[in-house]
Amino acid sequence: MKFKQLGIFSKASVIWLGIVMFMVVFGQWIPLPKPTNFDIDAMGVGLFDSLKHPLGTDSNGYDLLSNVIRGARPSMLISLISVGIGGLIGSTLGIISAYKRGKLDYIVNTLFNIVLSVPALVLGLALVAVLATNPDPNIEVPTSRRVIVIILSLTIVIIPILGRIARGATLSWSNREFVVAARSMGMKDSQIIMKHIVPNVLPAIYAVAFLAIGVVIVVEGSLSLLGVGIVDGVSWGSMIARVRGDLEYAPHSMIVPVVVLALTVIACNQLGDILRSQLDSREGRL
Amino acid sequence: MSSLLSLSNLRITFDTPRGQLAAVRGVDLEILAGESLGVVGESGSGKTVLSRASMGLLTMSTAHRSGTVVFDGQDLSTASREAVRDTWGTGMAMIFQDPMTALNPVRRIGSQLSEGLRVRLGMSRKEAKKRSIELLQLVRIPDPEKALRKFPNQLSGGMRQRVMIAIALACNPKLLFADEPTTALDVTVQAQILQLLSDLRQELDMSMVLVTHDLGVVAGHTDKIAVMYAGEVVEYAETKELFANVRMPYTEALLNSIPRLDQKSSGRMAVIEGRLPDPTQPEPGCAFASRCPYVQEKCQVEHPELQKADNGHQFRCHFPLGVAR
Amino acid sequence: MAGSGKVHMRNTGNTVLSVEDLVVEFALSKKTAVQAVSGISFDLIQGETLSIVGESGCGKSTLGKAILSLLPVTSGSVMFAGSDMTKIDKEAVRNLRPQMQMIFQDPISSLDPRYTIRQLVSEPLEIWSRGSAEEQSVKVDELLNSVGIDPTIAGDRKAYEFSGGQCQRISIARSLALEPKLLICDEPVSALDVSIQAQILNLLQDMKERYGLTMVFISHDLSVVKAVSTRILVMYLGKVCEIATPDSLYDSPKHHYTHALVNSVPIPDPSKKVARVILEGEPPSPVDPPSGCRFRTRCPAATELCATEEPQLRDMGSGNYVACHHPRG
Repeated sequence: MKFKQLGIFSKASVIWLGIVMFMVVFGQWIPLPKPTNFDIDAMGVGLFDSLKHPLGTDSNGYDLLSNVIRGARPSMLISLISVGIGGLIGSTLGIISAYKRGKLDYIVNTLFNIVLSVPALVLGLALVAVLATNPDPNIEVPTSRRVIVIILSLTIVIIPILGRIARGATLSWSNREFVVAARSMGMKDSQIIMKHIVPNVLPAIYAVAFLAIGVVIVVEGSLSLLGVGIVDGVSWGSMIARVRGDLEYAPHSMIVPVVVLALTVIACNQLGDILRSQLDSREGRL
Repeated sequence: MSSLLSLSNLRITFDTPRGQLAAVRGVDLEILAGESLGVVGESGSGKTVLSRASMGLLTMSTAHRSGTVVFDGQDLSTASREAVRDTWGTGMAMIFQDPMTALNPVRRIGSQLSEGLRVRLGMSRKEAKKRSIELLQLVRIPDPEKALRKFPNQLSGGMRQRVMIAIALACNPKLLFADEPTTALDVTVQAQILQLLSDLRQELDMSMVLVTHDLGVVAGHTDKIAVMYAGEVVEYAETKELFANVRMPYTEALLNSIPRLDQKSSGRMAVIEGRLPDPTQPEPGCAFASRCPYVQEKCQVEHPELQKADNGHQFRCHFPLGVAR
Repeated sequence: MAGSGKVHMRNTGNTVLSVEDLVVEFALSKKTAVQAVSGISFDLIQGETLSIVGESGCGKSTLGKAILSLLPVTSGSVMFAGSDMTKIDKEAVRNLRPQMQMIFQDPISSLDPRYTIRQLVSEPLEIWSRGSAEEQSVKVDELLNSVGIDPTIAGDRKAYEFSGGQCQRISIARSLALEPKLLICDEPVSALDVSIQAQILNLLQDMKERYGLTMVFISHDLSVVKAVSTRILVMYLGKVCEIATPDSLYDSPKHHYTHALVNSVPIPDPSKKVARVILEGEPPSPVDPPSGCRFRTRCPAATELCATEEPQLRDMGSGNYVACHHPRG
């Protein structure tokens, strides 16, 4: 499908995700006030009140624009990496178990269901509490370790979501006669999976993966809100977490990151829907 | 006998990404009360679209209709949606090829059967149940009370098609459209269903349109046959007349391509070479010209009109078979 | 009809396929199983076409897949190319695959929508590394041409752009790429229009002569198999009813079920009397088949004997074999 043929809402989504990706890649080099420097002379500057701080500052004097831009990288990277790794592991498990059926399928499916039944936030909290805390409260846990634990917990959340999609799609595709035909030609199972199952199952996984990115951004934000996110780093979630006490007197400092986060989630969902409908129309032609 | 359904110059086109697709191109047909008509053609010949359009079932915005459909004295082409809907069930009813997808899988047979009775005929629950049992008896389903409580997937294909027929007959329609009613069924079951339809038509004094790709199916079960090709009726006659004196080369080719059990096999089978013409690009001449074994120059340039012989035999051919050429 | 027995087996030197007492069971639950194929035997001589005919649910497709070891076999043997397919290991079965190919019922679903026609037809050649890429390409063009598909026009398009008949031609080209000895056709024309059916049947006949194939042709339609078969095997609920040559089968069916099948085929000629329905009801469930002869619940000639004793196939002369206590005259 060409960009021109997209609806206006879909176009806006693509453009917005383009902007976000630009912020992820080049955000660090945009000449802006350091996000970690607070401007004592400008605390709680409102939206569009000052040229120096176009989106204002929060009650501590942090520049919101630069925080949003530099926060894009950790937020998006955490989401992309966890959806990427989780998707890879989940789809592999889902495809192989659905293709082989039998005991393996039973075990994998049960595991998926168990993980799915634990709320993502609880899982994240538990993992951070176990893996990213130090018995000595005076020693700070390094940010990198926290990030890794957060990615790990989000990955675990993603595995069964995409795994089940891959499993369902594989079940339906592996019943098609061309798979039986491939077997009757003497293709090995591994070749059949790579040549006939994976290419047909991938579009369904892509479509849901985009939806999953949206979910993960929100979960990462929620973890920050609960104080187990990236504390001293900058991400959209930790921005929201930091200003959660200031909602009454500096509401814009909450609104800015929330809007950015919401737009990104909506755009991801929209893109997922486009992929989904394209997939359905091609399926419809069969 | 009086005319029950009459189509005149019916044209149906669909908007497609490749342009206007003419599925039905100017069809005139008349079905008399109590008569059965077989509509025969390959897939893509427009036979299914024709039957759906006659019932007013083509309501999507991409379908365009011109010409008139008169049912039982009422012009449906100018009538309101509601008036058309009022003819469904009591006037016209339809059964489909695949009884599995035409029935709702999560509802019991009884509730699907009594739905029309209660909504259309205003019957009470008790009356509807009594009538449902009668209907299932009518279509020869053994143990109808038990069948009422079953789900569609608990019945065999043949039994499901019987249920479909019972649903279609629930409100005593005057005209029954049967769209490939036996294509999904086994031969022995097909014979049962065709016999059932023939018997019911006589018992209930109903008209029937039997749409199929198989000339063998219509041969023993219809009064008249209309052969369709590329959206047009290319031959129309009483069944005996049509088989005795085939005029249209297409009908002949179609007949020859059917494997016959009643004749010795000769090894190779006769085939119709080529394919249906592209319905988005109508050709100037005869639509069958590119596949016709008797094609002449005139066929490529001039579109043949429907000719009518004295005995009512109609054919759309410049050089009809069995006539001095 | 519950026919067992092996009197119809011919032990000649050039047998391509020999199936004995084949049983295929599917587990319904831990305790119950349904026998889709219950003790079928037949053999196939080089150059023959055996048609397996029966109604849906009689086990004919299961039989076809079981012959190719595409399904696990419960018991019995399938002798092909000197080995018993049911006894040898997975890799050994795989190595026999190039010699036995299959054509499926749904022509569109048997071709992967992601690949072009050329890729699909060259796939078997790639799996078995037959020749260089160039040789493969030449072979693919030759195959497509032989089934009446122009590779220069159609080669780079995908399966869903073609009609059912054309897809079936492509499937045939693919199945012949490895030059198999045995071709199993599972309802190859039942999804197609009458006029296209004839084209595909003729093509299969041509290919059979050209490549010297031995074929198994599975169909629910007796009229379709008429022109192509050397022998016809009629199945009912997993058992053999009758095995005969086409002419004697159509002219004088010995089994009551075969008779019903022959007479159910609609004849495109209104001057011939339409057969009144000669078979009431539908096949019973294979989960709990009738005792004795499986056809007795619908058979007009059934007696007590049929309920107690399973009829064995017996020789009726002139190559006909029937499993019935009271065969038709």
